[in-house]
Parts: sequence; C-alpha cells; structure tokens
Amino acid sequence: MPSYLLPLLAPLPLLFGAAAGFLNTGCRSIYMSKIAEASAFVSFFIAFLAAVELVFTGPSVSPIIGSYGLGLSARLDAVSVIMLLLVTFIGWVVVRYAGTYLDGEARQGQFTGWLCLTLASVLLLVTAGNVFLLVIAWIATSFFLHQLLLFYPNRVAAQRAARKKFVTARLGDAALIVAAVLLFAAFDTSDIGTMLLAARAGLGGGLAVGAAGFLAIAAVLKSAQFPTHGWLTEVMETPTPVSALLHAGVINAGGFLLIRFADVMLLAPGILAALVLIGGFTALFGSLVMLTQPAVKTSLAWSTVAQMGFMIFECGLALFPLALLHIVAHSLYKAHSFLASGGAVERVAAICRPGPVAIPKARAVGRAFLSALVIYVLVGWGFSFEHKSPQAIALGAILIFGVAYMLAQGFADAAPLALTRRTAIYAVATSVSYFALQSAATWITDDTLPATPVPGPLEWGLITLAVISFGLVAIVQAMFPLWAYHPAAAGLRVHLSNGLYANAVFDRLVGGWSNKASS
Amino acid sequence: MLNSSPSTPTNLKALEKMMGRASHAIPPAWPLASSVAVNPFLGQTGENLATAGARLARVAGVSITMPRNWYLHKIAARDISDEDLAEAWASAPIHLRPANVAALKAAAARDTQKPVALPTIADLAAEVSGIDWPRLIAERFGAWAAGYFDEGQALWAAPRGLSAYAAWRAVATHDLTPEIAGLDGFALHVSEAPDSALIATARIVDRLGVKYRALETYFHQMLMTLGGWAQFARYKLWQAELAGGSDETVKDFLAIRLIWEEALFIRYHAEIADKWASICASHISLVEPTADLVIDTILQEAAERAAQRMLAEILAMHSSPKSEVRSVMQAAFCIDVRSEVFRRSLESVNPNIQTIGFAGFFGLTTSHQRFASDVEELRLPVLLNPALKSRSGGPELESKGQSLRVRARAKRAWGRFKLAAVSSFAFVEATGPIYVGKLVSDALGLYSLDTPNDPMPRLNATLDLAAQTKTAESILRAMSLTSGFARLVLLAGHGANVVNNPHANALHCGACGGYSGEVNARLLAALLNDPNVKAGLTKNGIDIPADTLFLAGLHDTTTDHVTLYTEDHPSATHQGDIAKAKAWLATAGKIARTERALRLPRAAHERLVSKRSRDWAETRPEWALAGCKAFSAAPRSRTSGKSLEGRAFLHDYDWKQDRDFGVLELILTAPVVVASWISLQYYGSTVAPEVFGGGNKLLHNVTGGIGVVEGNGGTLRAGLPWQSVHDGERLMHEPLRLSVCIEASREAMTEILSRHENVRALFDNKWLHLFALDHEGRMAWRYKGDLQWEAMDHFEAEAQSPKTKAAV
Repeated sequence: MPSYLLPLLAPLPLLFGAAAGFLNTGCRSIYMSKIAEASAFVSFFIAFLAAVELVFTGPSVSPIIGSYGLGLSARLDAVSVIMLLLVTFIGWVVVRYAGTYLDGEARQGQFTGWLCLTLASVLLLVTAGNVFLLVIAWIATSFFLHQLLLFYPNRVAAQRAARKKFVTARLGDAALIVAAVLLFAAFDTSDIGTMLLAARAGLGGGLAVGAAGFLAIAAVLKSAQFPTHGWLTEVMETPTPVSALLHAGVINAGGFLLIRFADVMLLAPGILAALVLIGGFTALFGSLVMLTQPAVKTSLAWSTVAQMGFMIFECGLALFPLALLHIVAHSLYKAHSFLASGGAVERVAAICRPGPVAIPKARAVGRAFLSALVIYVLVGWGFSFEHKSPQAIALGAILIFGVAYMLAQGFADAAPLALTRRTAIYAVATSVSYFALQSAATWITDDTLPATPVPGPLEWGLITLAVISFGLVAIVQAMFPLWAYHPAAAGLRVHLSNGLYANAVFDRLVGGWSNKASS
Repeated sequence: MLNSSPSTPTNLKALEKMMGRASHAIPPAWPLASSVAVNPFLGQTGENLATAGARLARVAGVSITMPRNWYLHKIAARDISDEDLAEAWASAPIHLRPANVAALKAAAARDTQKPVALPTIADLAAEVSGIDWPRLIAERFGAWAAGYFDEGQALWAAPRGLSAYAAWRAVATHDLTPEIAGLDGFALHVSEAPDSALIATARIVDRLGVKYRALETYFHQMLMTLGGWAQFARYKLWQAELAGGSDETVKDFLAIRLIWEEALFIRYHAEIADKWASICASHISLVEPTADLVIDTILQEAAERAAQRMLAEILAMHSSPKSEVRSVMQAAFCIDVRSEVFRRSLESVNPNIQTIGFAGFFGLTTSHQRFASDVEELRLPVLLNPALKSRSGGPELESKGQSLRVRARAKRAWGRFKLAAVSSFAFVEATGPIYVGKLVSDALGLYSLDTPNDPMPRLNATLDLAAQTKTAESILRAMSLTSGFARLVLLAGHGANVVNNPHANALHCGACGGYSGEVNARLLAALLNDPNVKAGLTKNGIDIPADTLFLAGLHDTTTDHVTLYTEDHPSATHQGDIAKAKAWLATAGKIARTERALRLPRAAHERLVSKRSRDWAETRPEWALAGCKAFSAAPRSRTSGKSLEGRAFLHDYDWKQDRDFGVLELILTAPVVVASWISLQYYGSTVAPEVFGGGNKLLHNVTGGIGVVEGNGGTLRAGLPWQSVHDGERLMHEPLRLSVCIEASREAMTEILSRHENVRALFDNKWLHLFALDHEGRMAWRYKGDLQWEAMDHFEAEAQSPKTKAAV
C-alpha cells in the first residue's frame, strides 16, 4: 500500500461514526455511541500507523486524485503526522466522553454525527496536500462546528455567540480563499509541498508576500486574536465536549496554517512582525483578563485566547517548531481541563484548606527572578544554549519569567522551608522539561520546518520589546497581591474583566442583544 | 423628581419591612461545596399550593404543578382512581373547586396556558427598544455577582470587605458595557445613586410610582429575576439569622436591580409610562388562586392520595414481629431513602441483623476540621447551630499534618503557576504533554477512588464526662436504642463517591450539611465506646453490655460499598464479628446494586454500577433521593420485609419509650422538616425546572466554586439539575409531596403541632401530609389541618378491590 494513503484513510472511519449518529433517532443508543467511539479509535490507530510509516519511509506526498490541481491529495510529514496524532487522540477521548455525557439527550445522534464530521474535516485539513483541499476542509470544519455550537438551537446566548463566530469565520474563509488564489498565482501549482520548496528558494515574489498577508489574517481570525476573540469566550453554550474539541482541536487551525506555510511566511518579515505584535499583545491581554474570571469554563476560554496569542507570537518570531509544540501541549492540557471542569467545586474548596497563601515581598520576588535566571543558564547550557537562535533564547527567557513566579511563591517570608524546597524542585523540573521538549520539537521537525532566520534590526527590536513587556508583566504578576487590591486598580480590574469591551462593541455591531433574532 | 416624602423615617421603616419580606419570600441556596436540599417554597409555606401558584405565576411566570396531561395520563392508566379524585375534590375549598368530579376530570383533559409573569420595566423597555434588556441585566448582574461571591476561582479576586451595594456601585460606575449596549449614562446614573441601598430604593419606588401595596409582589419579582444569585444572598441571610444576626445582601440586590429599572424607566419613559402604571395596579391586586390553579392543586392531591393508598396497602401487610434473640449485629443508617434499599438487603442476608434509621449526623452538631485543614465544615443539619467542635488527627500526628500541608500548599502554588499571567505559557510548554496520561487515565477510569479516610476525628476537649454522657444518652434515646445491644453495633454515615461532578456534595448526607457522614459516625462510636461514658449510661438506665463494640462506617451510596473504620477501635475479641459483618455488608451491597441497576440507565448489570462512580462523563452516577415520597417514624418491624423501593425515609421511633414525647417533638421539628426540604426540592425542580431547577448538566459552568451557571454566565442555577430528576425518557422523580407516617398518639402530635407554628403550617397548607399509624402500624388517621384528624377506615376494603369502591 502506498504510504500516502494512510493520511487519506484517517478521516474515513469517522464517516461511519457520523452515519451511525445521524441514522440514530432514539435518545439512548449504546450501540451508536460504541460505533462512534470505535470509529474515532480506528482513526487514531491509522494516525499511529502513519507515524510509523513516516519514521521508516520519510515524508511523502500523494498524487492528486482529481484534476486541475483540485482534488484529494495528502501530505505525510512531521507536521501533518503530529497534528493527525493529536487530533485523532483528542477526538477519541472526546467522542468517548460524549457517548456517556449526552446519554439521554433527544438529539444525541445528531450531536455524534456532527462531532464526527467536524473531526473528519479537521483531519482532512491537517493532512491536505493542496491548497484547494485545505480551503474546503477549513470551511467544512467551521460549518460542522457551527451545527455543534447551535446544538441547543433555542438558546439565545448560543445564537449570539454563534452569530459572532459566523461573522468571524466567514471573514477568515474569505481571507483564506484570497490567500489560496494568490498562492496558486504565485507558484503556479496547488501542491503545498512544491510551493514550500519554491518559497524556500526565495521564489514567489510580491504575490507570495500578499498570500502571506492573507494567511496571517485568516490565522488571526481563526485563532481568536484580539480584537476578534469575542466569540471564543462565549461558546460555552453547548455541551462540554464541544468546548473541549473546539479549544483543543479546531482553534489550532490558525496556528497550523502559519506552520504549514512557514516557508511562505518567511518571505514576509513585515507580516511576521505584525504577528509578533498581535500575538504578543493578545497573549498578555488574555492572560490578564483570565486572572479576573470567576467561572471555570470562561477562565479556560480566556486562557485559550492567551495561549493562541503566544503561539501566534512564536510563529511571528519564526519559531515554528516551538509553535507546533505549543499547539500540541496546549491542546492536551485544554482538552483535559474542559472535560474535567466539573471538578472545579472541589478544587476551589481545596484551595483554602492548607491555610493562607504566603505572599512574596519585593525582595523575595527579586531573589526569585535571579534564581530563575541562574536555573535558565545552567539548564540551558545542558541543552547547548549557544547553538540556539536569539529568538529561541528570548523565548526561553520569557518562559523563565514564568518559572520565577513559581519560585517567588516558595521564597515568600511566610513560606516554610519545606515549601521553598518543593517549589524549587518544581521550578527546576519545569525548566528541564521545557528545554527537553523544545529540543525534541526542533529535532522532529528538522526536515520539515524552516530554520529561524538570523534576526535583523526589526527582529531585534521586536525581541527586545517582547522580553521587556513579558518581563514587566511577570514582575507585576509576582508582586500581584501587593497592588491588585489598591483602590486605583479597581477600575482597571473592571475593564480587564470585561475584556476591554471588544466583545461588547462586537455585540453592538452585530446586534447581539437584539431580542428580535431570538423570537 | 426627588420627593421628600419617601424618605421620612416611618416610610423608610415600612419600606425596609417590605424589603425584608421580599428577602424572605425567596429560598436560600447553599454553596455547592456544602450543598443541601432546600424547600424552594420556603417563603410560601404560610399559604397553600394554589395561592403560592398564583403568586409565583405573577412574579416568575411559573407553574408549580405538572402539566395537565401528566395527571390525565395517570387517570387514564387508573393510577389515580376515581376515589382519589373524589376525595381530593372533597377536601378542596368549596367556592373554588369545579362543580363535581366529572367536571374535574373534564378539566384534566384541558391544557392550560403557561402562566406569564407581570412585565418588569426591563421587559417593557425590551419590547419598545428591541434590545433584550432582561437578558443583558441578568448577564451584567451575573458577571458582577460571580466575582463578588467568588471563593477562589479567579486569581485576581474582586475587592473584598464591601457591602454588596457598595461593591456593585464601584464596579457599575466603571463598567462601560451597558452604555455600549445602548443605555447611555448608566455609569453616571449609578454614581449619582444614594449611598444607602434603602434610600436608593425609596427614591426609585417613588419615581416609578409604585404604591406601597404593590411592593410585595414587585419586590419579590425583582429578586426572582436574579435567580440563584438572590438565593445565594438569602443563604447569607439565613446563616446570619441562625447566628442571631442579620445580613443586608438580599436587600442590596433588590436596590441594585431597581436601579436598572429606574435607568430604563428614565430612558424609555415616554413609551412605557402608561403600561407601567397599569402593571403597578396589577401588583396591588390580591394574590388569589384562579379556578385553574385550584383544579391543578386538586389533581396534584389526587395523585398524592393515589400514592398514599398504595403506601397504606404496603403498611397494612402483615409483618413479622421483632425477634427476641440477641441480634448478631445492629446497624444504624441515615434515614435517607437510599438507606432503605441497603437496610432491606442487609436484613435479607441474615434475619438476625437489626437495622436502625436515624438522622445521619447522629445527633452530633459538629464544626469539623479535616486533617491538615484550617477550614471549619459545618457537619450538621442547616437548621441548627453547631454545638461541638472536632478535628481529625491529634497532636501525635503533628508532623504528618505539617508535611501534608506543605504538599497541599505546593500543589496550590503549582495551581497558581498554571493560571497566572506569563507563567501559564511556561506551564503549557513544559507540562502539556503530561496530559496525554491524564486524558487516557480519566477516559478509561484507570484509577480508584479513595473513601474519606482521615485519621480518627475527635471532639475538642470542651465536653466534660457528664456532658458527654448526657449527649450519648439523649442520642441513644432519640434512636430508641436503649436495650438489646448486639456485640457489634455499626453506625453508618453515608456519602457519595463520584468524580467531575459539581453537584457531588448534593449526593452526600444532607443531615451532615452536605458532607459525607463518616466524621459524625466516628465521633459517636468513640463516645459510646468510652468506658466512662458507658458506666455513666448504666447509671441512667441504659445498660450497654461490656462485649458491645460500636464501629463507625461509611455507606457509599453510589457503589453500595460500606467502609468500616475498624482501626479507630481495635478489638481482639471482635475480629470474628467484624469479619462476618464485612461479608454480610458485601453481599448486601451486591443485592442493593442489583436492585438499583434496574433504575439506572446503561447499567445492565450490578457490576456496572460501581464503574459509574469513576466515569468522568457520567451525569447520572446515582439517583440520590429521586422518587422520595414517604417518611415513617415507627419501629422497624412495621416496615421490615416490605419493599419501599428506596422511596421512604425510615426513622426508628418507639413511642412506648418516649416518656414525655420529647423525641416525637424532635422528630417532627427536625428530621421531618429536613425531609420536607428534600421532598419539596425534588418537587420544585421537577415541576418548575426553569426557576427552581439547577439546569442542564451538559452546560454547567462552575462559578466562583459556589454554584453553576448554564453556558456563558447570567443567572446562578440553584436546585437539582434536570439530569437528576429525569433520565432522558421519563421522570425519575414523581413530584409528590411527602406523606409523613408516625406511630404515635394523635393527641401528642396535635399538641406538638400547636406549639410549632412553622411545622404546623407545612401540614395545614399541605406541603406535607401527616398520618397517624395505629397499634398495628397501619395508616389509620389523616391529619386534616387545623389540628383536626379524620379516620381512614377504607384501606382494608381497598386492599381487596382497589378500583371498585364508589366515590364519596
């Protein structure tokens, strides 16, 4: 069997699952749920075979089944296989979960059907060998997801969120279609692999730069970047498995697009710079808003906004392997967090049991940052620091600011020594794990993704800006309890908790609070 | 506009009284971490179902009986007999009921309109503006209240220490959302509002032209629009009043909601003023049941009478008298209906096992600290104040406690690292892949759930021996357990064991304040095993044999597994008894699971029942108290050997031992009231899920660690989720008000009711039905209300030919 067939086969079992769902009309069919789960698992198994195949035979592209560059074709490379494994794995968990969770729902069959179709189209998207297939899969994903978001079609809040999602998604579709046409025009082929090779050779010209721009727009819209994030923080109006799938699978499409076309993106440093700014801002904005959110799923949604921002930021810095790592790591974390969000009552109750939190003072924060820096240098050395790009080193620094927060909690005067020791161990373990995963990601995608270019003045400027702003926020965060309850911060908290009203404006524009639409 | 009249001291006092009345019209909602069932009609128990129906229809647009076709179906299926209908009809007020039973039956076939609440100003404004103001208010209020009550979900919590009104104003004066949505100048409007919620309310009432007599239902309605948030505020009031104080949160909420009304009134004055005036007039009109509401009530009562008829037949069946030989084991369980199945199973394993039903907190009202925890948990019925303090683990476990605390604090630090700005990125990139393992293990349920197993709890040394003995004595007397002790006496609390379930605590023991019951059971076992206490008890006439060992246990209601806390009281002489007890309990668990599996969806076999408790996607791990319909206070011999299908609370009570009816009074005022809260919570969540139900579990979003909202936010949802009363195909809870059957003299009960106005109101207004059992345990007398009883002489004939007897 030709190796390229495996990626093409992966979505097929899910079509069976979808059929089982749509054909089922009752509200309690164990067989339907089992068929759906089995189909998702078979997809996962095919993805696993594809990974094995890749290891032994190396990357490959299927010939196109169709004509004029239109049709089915699949790429088998590190990027598509990693995404395939990720999506099929999470897909299996989500479909299994939904089988029990939706038991007793009158429209469980429909739900399962749309769920399987959404998954199948994401699989098609991540393995697409040509841009037109990619566009179709992209649009299909969004369409199927829309059905899931309106699983309770009479819920007014669901309609409101779905309407915003719809507007954002159609804009994204338009951008992607333009990008696809420009790519075809620039490289005279629909085959993605051919395009990437040409782009790596510096071909493509102005059309390719234009395509990069539209790809970036599509990615920003798809990945809920500021100020188009409003829909994402409101789509909890549908059963939890949809949120898990959305936040762990579908939302990644934006980042995936940038990674898939990494070589094309590198042709447009200005656009990458814009992505650094948008992504970096969204990351900081989202993570600050998240601090203020009292509802667990809403908090997770804002966390996704922030994490997607960080991932786009990494793409902007041309650290594509790290962006891919981020997608994988975040998806696994977020899928679990959503599915396990029912445990929030117990988790919150557990917070108070061991007594008050020790609050670090400025000195402790200072020591924490210094120690984190030492850990960074020592651990970094172990992972041959000196061979890394300045962008990667800067990114490591940003992450180490985060580790410093962990240390600061243990360094607080009121913290017992045993606690200090534990947090220090966590900090070192986190740093080692981070560098190890980073090296692994770079190694695995070595053949597939372009290396990070040497920074020019623009890049150096951005790097400096990023390190300073992330560093400042990290320090502010570490000293948080010392200032956050000052009366002067109260107004800031209100505005942040409302996401700086970007969503309220969006609602106003699309008539979100109109009571006409609902009746 | 400002008129000086509303702010005169007398007017303010009257206004404050009305605000207080509105506060008490809504039920409290406990936080989920210690959630207990609450009677949603707590504010309406002073009136009957039909009147409460009229009131709630006006203020919330909700019906509090089932749709007509539910009754029609039961009539057609002969579940409700003509006699039931006739009797229910006969007991209804004469001037409001239909002409005769035939008219009643005809009415049952007629569908009624869903009631519509009187419009609020927000509703009127929405009508004329096309902007969904009620929903926007709910969303904005929810966004603020969630932060205000947050117990620790957000790392950056809302400022603490302000009254609700002040805190809301501080937020609303900054929040730009209402203005973006079209309510210009709202922030300014809020900032110009008086600093006192009372004065603000006075001003608004005046500006809106609401007459004093209209305030009762208008204020009630305002709070109803805030749903569970107002109920949570009412919980703060409940706690404060229980402790002898007061709390202003509900009143503050009222003022806040009114400020919205005022702002919208000013904004849309020209278009809505006339309509509003007529609505104000409607609020003045007396709350009176309509003919349809009376019919609904009669049908509801007929359904209850049908159930009572069945119950009477079961209780009239011959039962075997209590055996005179010493029991091989005595096992006391909570009165919770789930214990009924297990007790019956256990007794079937060995007929010489005696089981006892008693409130699951075992009479110990303790404020308890878990091992290595600072948090005091109120493990007692919410009607009472704690009288004791206890903690798990003594000084000898100090260092173990410390290291446990450090571990918990490190975990907490890790949790903050995970959520904080900037560090959350490091967290994801360094540890995200670990979640592969977590996903697989949770998806497949590859872990075991630990039962609560803190070190042995002990009472803080505040009780001297005399007090301990007195406590032990009154508990044993309340249990009617003063003689005939077995070698092994098991005291079994209960708790559920589920994962990923925001409503997990609602499955625990309500009598233990929504916690699992093992702590109270272990404390009592320790008390009763104390040789000094035993000696004291002997002096007071309760002779516990030297070879009797009290042992605490925990009945896991999800899996029907019973954990025994044998380490608390190691006894070399009881090894054999314990081994036998374990075997009996294991067999009983299997029998109970087999019975329960029939009701649980997707549980084809007893083995699958236990697995559900570990399934993170399971929304129906157990049915909890769904189906509850009866309460019995009588010796166990009246019910033993008869299946009550896990639908009855069984309290052991022997009136012969109750010298001055002190125990009877305790039962009527405490366990019966708690059972009424449970029964009516199920009732309310079933008949009016949109107002008194907890919503759809599939959409639950845990907020502030205290409650759930559906989806993005908005109104907090208190009550039982739909999945807890409905299996997708049919209701698992038949909404029937509880039938309380007590074997005691009518005179004693009448006397007690006459002294307890609130309890009497429950029975007089038929929120509960009361029956006196005769000397053979048969339902012989029905409480008619007004301290009157009527004889039930028909049940024996009924048992022969239930459907042939002519109507009255």
